[in-house]
Amino acid sequence: MKLEIKNVTKKFKEKTAVNNFSMELQSGECVGLIGPNGAGKSTLIKVIADIIDPSMGEVLLGGKKISKMKREIGYLPQYPNFFQWMTAKETLTFMGQLSGIKKEELTRSIPEIMSKVGLSGEENSKVRTFSGGMKQRLGIAQALLHKPSLIVMDEPVSALDPIGRREVLNIIEEIKKETTILLSTHILSDAEEICERFVIIKNGEKIEDTTMTELLNRNSENKINVDLTVKNQEWIEIVKSLNFVKGVEVIGNKLKIEVENIELNKNLLLASALEHNVDLVRFEIDNDTLEEIFLKLVVEK
Amino acid sequence: MNNFTVLAKKEFVQMVREFKVIWLPLVFIFLGLTQPVVSYYLPSILKALGGGQGITIDPSMAAQKGGEVLASTLGSQFDQLGVMIIIVSMMGVVQSDKANGMLAFILTRPVTVGSYISGKVISNYLFVACSVVLGYLVSYLYVILLFTRVDFVDLLVALLFYLMWILFIVSFTTMISTIFNSQGIIALISIVFLLGCRIVVGLSPVLDNVNPASMSKHAMEVLILGTVNTDVIWSVISTIVLSALTILVTNIWISKKKFNNE
Repeated sequence: MKLEIKNVTKKFKEKTAVNNFSMELQSGECVGLIGPNGAGKSTLIKVIADIIDPSMGEVLLGGKKISKMKREIGYLPQYPNFFQWMTAKETLTFMGQLSGIKKEELTRSIPEIMSKVGLSGEENSKVRTFSGGMKQRLGIAQALLHKPSLIVMDEPVSALDPIGRREVLNIIEEIKKETTILLSTHILSDAEEICERFVIIKNGEKIEDTTMTELLNRNSENKINVDLTVKNQEWIEIVKSLNFVKGVEVIGNKLKIEVENIELNKNLLLASALEHNVDLVRFEIDNDTLEEIFLKLVVEK
Repeated sequence: MNNFTVLAKKEFVQMVREFKVIWLPLVFIFLGLTQPVVSYYLPSILKALGGGQGITIDPSMAAQKGGEVLASTLGSQFDQLGVMIIIVSMMGVVQSDKANGMLAFILTRPVTVGSYISGKVISNYLFVACSVVLGYLVSYLYVILLFTRVDFVDLLVALLFYLMWILFIVSFTTMISTIFNSQGIIALISIVFLLGCRIVVGLSPVLDNVNPASMSKHAMEVLILGTVNTDVIWSVISTIVLSALTILVTNIWISKKKFNNE
């Protein structure tokens, strides 16, 4: 089902948390909502999960108002809390029944989902005794239980240690095949790992909506970094004379070579280096890392 | 199973897990037996403690009627300590769900606000009512043991009247618990308002007609006099209307999502 967010604005007294935000999510997509702390990610997620009403604009799922489509949404809060006195199984039964799943179906699907999120054997433990990672996994289990067509996750891995993070990322990777996922995070490598598409939000406004490869390509400047052991002035001159080289920058043993077309010219350059017996240490396309791009976008714009 | 039964069942399970199911009835049983026992032994207690010099105990004082003692169980035990304990036991009814985010979480599911509130109010009311009935019955047993018999029909009518006042207490506390975020404030407002309602009973007949606490006075009158004041109809209507109003306010408050204005 298609998720449409149309001109959503949310104001808290004087502060505008989300400002005229629009975006569309096709069925089966996995979108990462990235932004610094306080950018309005959680507010936007809450508007999508119908926990708070937007001051303006609307959110539609499959063409219908989100408040009418709650059965189709699985929501994972930033800090899933649950009732401390319930066991894991009771929690899932409770949330499942509220979503309108029949009891017979639950007795079948709960063990299934518990093993999927790696909580088998914990069915009868109280939620009170759960670690952060276990709660997060239980949160994912309840979000998946009613087989929603959209799963909304607010910082699913930000509060976890590296091991818990890895486990949860693997689970998300798994469920990605079956549903549409929208998740927010401020940790780029997580988003990079699971999502194809990014929406970058800053001060409540959408500043970028793009895919990973596009983002990386757009920010590369047709430059190649070459590190040499000993400065080889002869080869530098040869490189300068190559017809596709537009400029060479020399910093110590490092060369930054700008070419006309990175795809076509990179191998020619390498061939030239080999031909002249240049002692290469490193040869790479000069790419900004995702983090650099992110910083550039968020800080500068 | 629809959402209302799921939510109500959850409330009952929670009461069992948190041992509320034990302590609240026990409190009311204790309150219920205090009045008849103390009334019965008061002359002996005074005699023993007073040293017996210069004090005359009027023998007619001990000759209270059963109905009067039962009425004062309602008036001086349930309506004071009892009401406070109900409020304290219920102050977190919605507030704790708000505080830990469960309210918002539950409402991300296809659950109507109405079934959430009715699940809360009805389950808690049934439970509080059962505790009150239990305490009342214990009081009744002691009354017929130590004093005179009370007419059974009067007993039931008075109980019915009293339970209407309890309904208002429960729905009012739920409303306050929904609106305010601190348990202390919730308890304070509820106790001051509800005990205030009880105190002003009898000051003005007009006020009594719109005061849910006057249901308690009517219950006491039934027990003492054995007759039903016809004004009770106004109190019944106003109690129902006011309870419905508090539930409506609760409903609007949650529907408008005012509960998570961070």
